[in-house]
Amino acid sequence: MSTEIIKDTHAVEHHDSHGHDHHHHESFIRKYIFSTDHKMISKQFLITGIIMGCLGMGMSLLFRLQLAWPDESFPLIESLLGKWGKDGKIDPNYYMALVTIHGTIMVFYVLTAGLSGTFSNLLIPLQCGSRDMASPFMNMLSYWFFFISSVVLMSSFFVETGPASSGWTVYPPLSALEKAMPGSGLGTTLWLFAIILFIVSALLGGINYITTVLNMRTKGMSMSRLPLTIWAFLLTAILGLLSFPVLLGAGLLLLFDRSFGTSFYLSDIHLNGIGALSNSGGSPVLYQHLFWFLGHPEVYIILMPALGISSEVISTNARKPIFGYSAMVISLLGISFLSFIVWGHHMFITGMNPFLGTMFMYVTLIIAVPSAVKTFNYLATLWKGNIRFTPAMLFAIGLVSFFISGGLTGIYLGNAALDIQMHDSYFVVAHFHLVMGSSAIFGMFAGIYHWYPKMFGRMMNKTLGSLHFWLTFISAYLVFFPMHFMGLAGVPRRYYQFSLIPEFGIWMDVNILITVAALLGGVAQLLFLYNFFNSIWRGERATRNPWHSNTLEWSTDVKHIHGNWPGEIPTVYRGPHEYSRPDRELDYFPQYEKGNGEPDYYHAPSPADTSYDGKKEKASTVFFSSFAYLFMKRAKVRA
Amino acid sequence: MNTKVKQIFKLTLVAVIILFAANLISGSVDIQGVAEEQLSADNPWFGTAEKEYKPGKMETEEDVLHSRINWAIIVFVLLMTFILANVFDIGKYTARITGRETVNQNNVNRWLMLIFMIVGIIAVAWEYVYHGELILLNDSSSEHGFAYDSMFVITLVLTTIVFIVTQFLLFWFSFKYAHSEDRKALYYAHNNRLEVFWTIIPAIVLTLLILRGHQTWKSIVYARDNYKGKMHHVEIFAYQFGWKARYAGEDGILGNADYKFISGKNELGLAYEPEVDSLLAELKVRIQQDQTAIDTLDRTLKVLERNYKNAEGLRDYTNMESIRKDISAVKNGEMKDELEASIKRKVKQVQRIEAIKKDKAIFASTFTSAAMDDIITQEIHLAKDSLVTFDFRSKDIIHSAWLPHFRVQMNVVPGMPTKFTFRPTKTTAEAKKENGEEFEYYLYCNKICGSSHFNMKIKVVIESQSEVNAWLAKQQPAFIKKKMEAVPTIQTVDSTQMMQKDTTKTLALK
Repeated sequence: MSTEIIKDTHAVEHHDSHGHDHHHHESFIRKYIFSTDHKMISKQFLITGIIMGCLGMGMSLLFRLQLAWPDESFPLIESLLGKWGKDGKIDPNYYMALVTIHGTIMVFYVLTAGLSGTFSNLLIPLQCGSRDMASPFMNMLSYWFFFISSVVLMSSFFVETGPASSGWTVYPPLSALEKAMPGSGLGTTLWLFAIILFIVSALLGGINYITTVLNMRTKGMSMSRLPLTIWAFLLTAILGLLSFPVLLGAGLLLLFDRSFGTSFYLSDIHLNGIGALSNSGGSPVLYQHLFWFLGHPEVYIILMPALGISSEVISTNARKPIFGYSAMVISLLGISFLSFIVWGHHMFITGMNPFLGTMFMYVTLIIAVPSAVKTFNYLATLWKGNIRFTPAMLFAIGLVSFFISGGLTGIYLGNAALDIQMHDSYFVVAHFHLVMGSSAIFGMFAGIYHWYPKMFGRMMNKTLGSLHFWLTFISAYLVFFPMHFMGLAGVPRRYYQFSLIPEFGIWMDVNILITVAALLGGVAQLLFLYNFFNSIWRGERATRNPWHSNTLEWSTDVKHIHGNWPGEIPTVYRGPHEYSRPDRELDYFPQYEKGNGEPDYYHAPSPADTSYDGKKEKASTVFFSSFAYLFMKRAKVRA
Repeated sequence: MNTKVKQIFKLTLVAVIILFAANLISGSVDIQGVAEEQLSADNPWFGTAEKEYKPGKMETEEDVLHSRINWAIIVFVLLMTFILANVFDIGKYTARITGRETVNQNNVNRWLMLIFMIVGIIAVAWEYVYHGELILLNDSSSEHGFAYDSMFVITLVLTTIVFIVTQFLLFWFSFKYAHSEDRKALYYAHNNRLEVFWTIIPAIVLTLLILRGHQTWKSIVYARDNYKGKMHHVEIFAYQFGWKARYAGEDGILGNADYKFISGKNELGLAYEPEVDSLLAELKVRIQQDQTAIDTLDRTLKVLERNYKNAEGLRDYTNMESIRKDISAVKNGEMKDELEASIKRKVKQVQRIEAIKKDKAIFASTFTSAAMDDIITQEIHLAKDSLVTFDFRSKDIIHSAWLPHFRVQMNVVPGMPTKFTFRPTKTTAEAKKENGEEFEYYLYCNKICGSSHFNMKIKVVIESQSEVNAWLAKQQPAFIKKKMEAVPTIQTVDSTQMMQKDTTKTLALK
């Protein structure tokens, strides 16, 4: 067996044969814990991500209980939180802590590591056609740094003064001054350490992903034949590599301010019970600039893998090539580039020079263009497709729906003038929970359902998957849609309760509705957990290519082996989305299947200019609205 | 058949186990039972958090019942999920036996897509009507608010159209093109013209939005620079957790202020020399006190240990806990470090204040007489139809001043002056007529700032200029009285000198 593998140059590194067989004599620790196999590492990322996700969601349910029934006493909260839940009510400081850690977990631990870590690791070598990552050892380190980081973050719950509680953005001076709030003590130090470890993990992973994609593609896999998932992972990794170090810098400076008496972010402060501090000359706004220089690309680090996954899933399950492959790639490139120069839209009202605000408004609203292109292309892919509603497809459609709903409110918030009023209101909460929260988590679910057979060799239950989708989809809309109106009515975010502010009393029933919907969403996730863990052992056995997909990962055996392919790595002959080609009986045409010299339709000129199926198609005019145009097209084809 | 029986048996077994566990848990959640006896001087570290906190409410039967009900609900939900999941598993088995799907899931999902779209669009329309009533729109109480509102409406209309159309297409296509065996999808990979078209249209629409947004933004943020007439300045001072407003007194000038001058009597840190002098004296005394405290740490430790014994005798656990913390702070040197840091801080503050006092030019420009008659208030009163600039200053951390009814928001950043200029156009009385008698304008804090962030607000009253004047006349100026008492001494000499340099407003302190 080993001798076969040695044919490939990449395999030589890992399969230095001394005559014995690697696959059968791996110790438990090498195989399941300190594994260097990208498939195992991706499973580790996924399961850690799911556990963190459960914790994050649990926290959100706790503070939703507080928001919906501020005067009610929940003995449950008391028994869970101890002194922080006196009389069954969450302590205001602890409420802040829950909000902070919920945000941190969801943004970094679930949607960055859990999503990008899992699927980059799983798919990059499999879809590019390589034996493993460029550096499997670094890959292992990446996971373990992430794991330690999660442990450090969660350990802050066992600190006497509680975890970090100045919001997931940990703005100084609040986060820098131990005496400003209890959470800014040891809790914030642990938060910073956790984030520093996390950044190390993200960088180790990122370098690996980029190197693998650029250098280790199989024969025939040109950049223009890469599946959109890989494009998304590549650009995500580049974004992370360029922006995470800035957060590292920001975090280190904050650590200095906290522990060594420097004044990068501190100036002119007189604290209750302490007196005037000596710190002078720093600027809290500097931290915000540094933070959002990561913070904004981070949004796309979260979203782009989800978009890549949904492109792949939609194309496979609509049995149609993704519409406008190059436009999709170009818009990903555009989004990646623009995401670096828009961070200031988080800071329109921080006292930043209004001229800068203008500049940031321009570039921010321009991002809507590539995003719109992506949306329209998704719609055009569905048009005249042959859609199979697998759970993955359902979640991908959900993603597009959230991407539209959340993306459109971005047009309000990116507008500096409108942001004056909406900044830090519930409108913002609704916006980002839809566009990067729900949307990305739906991308993650789509990925899990789609590649579960590849990961675990078994299928997840389809019915439960559909049920999970519908419950989650409905609950997410019920939770976040009404929040827009709360924000527009002037309800500020991060308020512990509204009972002291009678003006907001009218929103009490909405708060209850939201909490009930959130609880429903929580229950739906229990279904998912059951389905996920149950199927690992009891699911139906998967076949080699259960979705009749084109991409390379489905050419491997169901059983995982080191090096992915037992023999030679397959050669790639065409693009990844050759579904339903008119010249073929089957409605798919795998990338690795050698054809009979058919023309590569995918890279042929636009069907508007060439004929296929014996008919000449012409774009008659471009002055109609795009949708009228689409319908017209439909009528024409039918006739 | 056999497997089904097994299945049911397993299910019941799990249910019984879960219920049993739940019963155990709900019995033991009762924290008050956690042995308080275990806390002793020999073992003070045991479970500090639990000890510090002593629940008092779990005593009645009712509370225990509540706790059990809560747990029962959780267990019930888990159980239901498990059962539900298994019920759906049955579908899998029947499919395996009969060889075909009992329910055509693709069809179900297809119709659900359509139903979701219809119900969803109705729900959105309902939200727009029902909750749309409550949003702040077309009722702005400031001049620029109307420009803001029109910008908002334009965006709202555009995005709503795009929202409805794209969501409709998404679900409609999903419904329409669901899988069918007799059909093949249309091979349609790209169409450059179409793509160019739907790149350019959004680009044009967004350009229009950007231009409009730019105009609105400019008209709001540059209002101050474009205005030539007299403008009222009100300082808005933020601290954990509250707001104060400062009006210029009779002289019409807001005096200087600095965080270094803040003291018990001078909450806003106004540059008023007698107050600053007394602060200096107080600081020096406190430095002495801290020094003494460092020197007598040994004695303090003994006292603390004695107190701990007493508290132990009284079984006063809360007190024991806090004394124990103090003891460990003294023992591991934290107390000393803290005191030393405190001394260092105060010495620095004294040095800085003295440096200001030494340099004649800086002294004169800092300690003007303008601060003396400033009026510090707990409410903000503004005149209708006159332009006002808020000068924001923070005492400690970042806050954000949000006046939703005026479409005004600006962060309050320590060490960085921020401003917002606007013109209120609706009096409180008028707003009350529209919104009911209880209505009041408020300025809220909108940047996370600590435990009482949710209750940090200040009342804003809009009335006529004469009413504002009358209200101001009733307020007590900050230091005027003292000035009158202290007139004969140095103060007069200083203030006459200072008068000439009143215009210099910057603090050249560092």
